[in-house]
Amino acid sequence: MPFHAAPQPVTRLIEELSRLPGIGPKTASRLTYHLLRAADEQALGLADALRQLRERTQFCRVCFNITEGQPCAVCSDPGREQALICVVESPLDVLAVEKTRAYSGQYHVLHGAISPIEGVGPDDLKIDRLLDRVRSGGVQEVILATNPTLEGEATAMYLQKQLAGFPVLVSRLARGLPVGGDLEYADEVTLARALEGRSQM
Amino acid sequence: MRRGAICVLLSRAAAAMHLAQLTLTNFRNYTRLDLALPKGPTLLFGANAQGKTTLLEAIYYLATTKSPHARADRQLLNWYANGSEDPVAVGRLTAQVRLAGETGQRHLEIRLIRDQTGRAGSEFRRQVLVNGVKVRLVDLLGNLNVVLFLPQDVGLVSAPPAERRRYLDITLCQVDTRYCRTLSQYNKVLAQRNALLRSLQEGRARPAELSPWDEKLAELGASLVLRRAALIADLEQRAGRIHFDDLTGGTESLRLAYRPRLWPNADQAPSSLPPAATADTVGWLLEQPENQLAASLRRALDGSRQVETQRGATLIGPHRDDLRLLVNGRDLADYGSRGQQRTALLALKLAEVAWMEGQTGERPVLLLDEVLAELDQTRRAYLLSSVVAAEQAILTASDPTMFTGEFLAQATRMEVKGGQIRPRNGPVQRGTRDEEEV
Ligand SMILES: [Zn+2]
Repeated sequence: MPFHAAPQPVTRLIEELSRLPGIGPKTASRLTYHLLRAADEQALGLADALRQLRERTQFCRVCFNITEGQPCAVCSDPGREQALICVVESPLDVLAVEKTRAYSGQYHVLHGAISPIEGVGPDDLKIDRLLDRVRSGGVQEVILATNPTLEGEATAMYLQKQLAGFPVLVSRLARGLPVGGDLEYADEVTLARALEGRSQM
Repeated sequence: MRRGAICVLLSRAAAAMHLAQLTLTNFRNYTRLDLALPKGPTLLFGANAQGKTTLLEAIYYLATTKSPHARADRQLLNWYANGSEDPVAVGRLTAQVRLAGETGQRHLEIRLIRDQTGRAGSEFRRQVLVNGVKVRLVDLLGNLNVVLFLPQDVGLVSAPPAERRRYLDITLCQVDTRYCRTLSQYNKVLAQRNALLRSLQEGRARPAELSPWDEKLAELGASLVLRRAALIADLEQRAGRIHFDDLTGGTESLRLAYRPRLWPNADQAPSSLPPAATADTVGWLLEQPENQLAASLRRALDGSRQVETQRGATLIGPHRDDLRLLVNGRDLADYGSRGQQRTALLALKLAEVAWMEGQTGERPVLLLDEVLAELDQTRRAYLLSSVVAAEQAILTASDPTMFTGEFLAQATRMEVKGGQIRPRNGPVQRGTRDEEEV
């Protein structure tokens, strides 16, 4: 049977899209053919958005959240409490906590959680920089808001040990978050309650 | 009198539960099956390799989400149904569980799905639904309780320890979803810790990184050990009674010796622990508060850190437990005859039936695959009396003539042939030619 594959630019986009989390080869094909038929401004707008995402964003040099300027909007806001740091796994978690409007302190984004299987150790996360921030003073409480997954718990336990020598209060989000769940999927009310009910470690 | 004993065993107020309907789609050799099952004993007969055992396997799978043979799940799918060129992508098992006195019923469904990934590869996954709602795998457990009797069960006595741990785990998981979650968490912690030990071995990590995993492993491990100990204590009492009174005429006493791996070696076992020969570890364990057990497991992990780092593996914890079966104080694996091993396993399985009923308040469905052929007359009669006493039992046999006429009169009979099932409540066929009443 003669077999004709799709043109290379088509198969390339399908392959690139299927590498994204949550997108299988079927969805990737559907998206690709949708973009083929779409108006120029939609398809090229997407390409432009991708380019800008990479070119115009960076990590905040203080908290490692994603930002356009240095430092980020939270870190440079004088109205926010300086003595409180909420430690999260990803920038999405910052958005989730911000949405609750129940928190007005600082953040620290680890960019992951400890997972030896995936080769992620403490040195691969922004843990040293967190300890630097605490060491430089002015911090009274560190809230460990890593996900209630095994890896998130292990990361919190490791951080707790590391922070034990500093004169700061270390607290953990209250249970009530679905175990095994991700912070970014918790609804705002649940998350706000978990913040209020955080307990000292 | 024997039947009397079993009736007492099962007569406490237990809710009646039975599997009323089973459907299979592309499950092993069944392209499509829709089978109504009555209460009481059902006898599936037919030549070998016609699909009798597969039916029991399907029911067991719906109850436990596990195959009895620890095979890969993807093998369960009937890949090329109807001689088709394209491999099948979805298989389905459903069960209608009917409960007496309760309104409604439980509808259980497992979908076996093969996803095409790229041009060549495929990925296998499972979907579980209870009453039409997608749930997690563990949420299926406890909706249909079964106890499976297999001829190869006897091998459990002398099998590697992993097989006996699997037996304990599957038994507990069926009735205790908390155990099941703890076990799954424990296994994840174990995998993480082992990966970290290998990194330490290669100098890619620091010992301080172990502490969160040690803590979790000890906490979850202690919980597993205590639940296993409670199960073993209960099973030992029940199995010991059945074994001594009913199966060996008061001559042989069966004990279950739990050997938890909570300390690096016997020398380091706590001094308060009774000697191993007395098999009283369980009694000792059940007196320990869970947090103290976790603390001692934690200390044991600290103590063996060096060896574990060298080996790149966790050497202490319930993943290294064992359970030994002793008769008159001697280990059955080393000293027992095949007959003794078989008798002990029968006692253990019957104890499991009673334990499960005690835990859930529901009589489990008994699944028996060709087990009668292995037993002598006395034990066969004893087992059949408990089969008749059960709310529902499904038996397979290639030769239905080994059953008593009395039993056959009470049983629903069905013939299994080439993946088809026909009711056959006529006379039992003896051999291939004669037809005579039993
Ligand atoms: Zn910042």
